[in-house]
Amino acid sequence: MSIKYAMLGILAERDLHGYELKSSFDEKVGDFWSLNYGQIYSTLDRLEKDGLVTHDREAQEKRPDRKIFRITPDGRQELTQWLATPVTRIRALRDEFFIKLVFMVKSDPAPVLALIDKQKTLYLKQMNRLTQRKLALKKGAGGNEALTSELLIDAGLFHAEADIRWLTLCEAKIKAAINQEK
Amino acid sequence: MIELRNAGKTYRQGSREVRALRDVSFIINKGEFLSIMGPSGSGKSTLLNLMGGLDQPTSGEVFIDGRPLHNITDNELTLIRRRRVGYIFQFFNLLPLLTAEENVGLPLLLDGLPFSEVKPRAAALLDKVGLRERAEHRPEQLSGGEMQRVAIARALITGPAVILADEPTGNLDSHTSEEIFLLLKSFNDQGQTIVMVTHDPKAAAYGTRIITLKDGAPDQDIVIGGDNP
Ligand SMILES: Nc1ncnc2c1ncn2[C@@H]1O[C@H](COP(=O)(O)OP(=O)(O)OP(=O)(O)O)[C@@H](O)[C@H]1O
Ligand SMILES: [Mg+2]
Repeated sequence: MSIKYAMLGILAERDLHGYELKSSFDEKVGDFWSLNYGQIYSTLDRLEKDGLVTHDREAQEKRPDRKIFRITPDGRQELTQWLATPVTRIRALRDEFFIKLVFMVKSDPAPVLALIDKQKTLYLKQMNRLTQRKLALKKGAGGNEALTSELLIDAGLFHAEADIRWLTLCEAKIKAAINQEK
Repeated sequence: MIELRNAGKTYRQGSREVRALRDVSFIINKGEFLSIMGPSGSGKSTLLNLMGGLDQPTSGEVFIDGRPLHNITDNELTLIRRRRVGYIFQFFNLLPLLTAEENVGLPLLLDGLPFSEVKPRAAALLDKVGLRERAEHRPEQLSGGEMQRVAIARALITGPAVILADEPTGNLDSHTSEEIFLLLKSFNDQGQTIVMVTHDPKAAAYGTRIITLKDGAPDQDIVIGGDNP
């Protein structure tokens, strides 16, 4: 799974505490991917066992030591290799909405059309939020980080657009089918 | 700002009637960026043409700045169209024999202003849309994205009450389209009211409000904007 590589990618930039890792993750890709601390620590555990990450202890007053995680040379090599490999697994067409469609479409088209409407509105609102974020980014200082965030936002916009276009097509085809029956 | 009261449009072809718009009522407030979406034939262009006085409703009324577009002389209507409304079209609609600067200044030239007065204003707007170096180019010497920027500058030159755009990026690639939306949005941020018809949800998402049309009538009216989810 690529949580592992996201952790390696973040640690390749600098050494971090577990909770800093989470905030860095949220800042970079949090809009599209949410992780809890449990997932972060279990991933770090596995990375340590594989020798890709190690940690130092940092003493704290009145509190237990903190772990600062660091990427190992093996970890860097693994990350570099992963980055250079294209993704062969195409995004799966598996979505709650598809399942709903399977169970609805046969009987009565009205609820399907109503659901499509609601779903489209939701996507449009989501796209509007993403666009607002993009506009805010554009007003900011720029730089490589901002460019990466913008490209991720664009990916979100294009995916939502594809979904809206497909829903619109569903609507048109379902209506055409109703008209034919009449 | 712009108000439609039960506006409708029925086209007649011989004995056949096409109800392109039925009983549409809504108000577009100053500073809004309204996106209009809907399937092909749902009446989007018809609606836009009514709002800009390019076409007359067959029923109901349209107002711009509180002034009716009905019961006025052709001459008055022409002046409103020229001075209070800026148009942006899918195919740019620039005059091929004029330079970019002359195209931008055209609405003012038609209004009788001398070129010496129009030129600096056209030049300033070309600068704002990032085309200072292209002022002397004719449309055939410009890319699609550049032509659309010229059209945007032309639409803005009269300081119109509203800009009406019909599929402004229908012929442009994604990146060029985005530059056009960012440009429109920047003018909207300065208070320019914009109404844009589009099939592209990415374009619609720049709006502060989205109205979808279905069979000649508004279906959904989604007011958005602000940063909070
Ligand atoms: N001049 C006209 N004469 C007769 N019918 C017309 C005329 N203009 C438009 N119509 C009809 O009115 C309806 C709405 O047309 P309109 O151009 O407003 O659709 P639209 O939503 O802009 O579609 P598109 O997305 O394809 O541009 C269509 O059924 C069309 O055939
Ligand atoms: Mg149209």
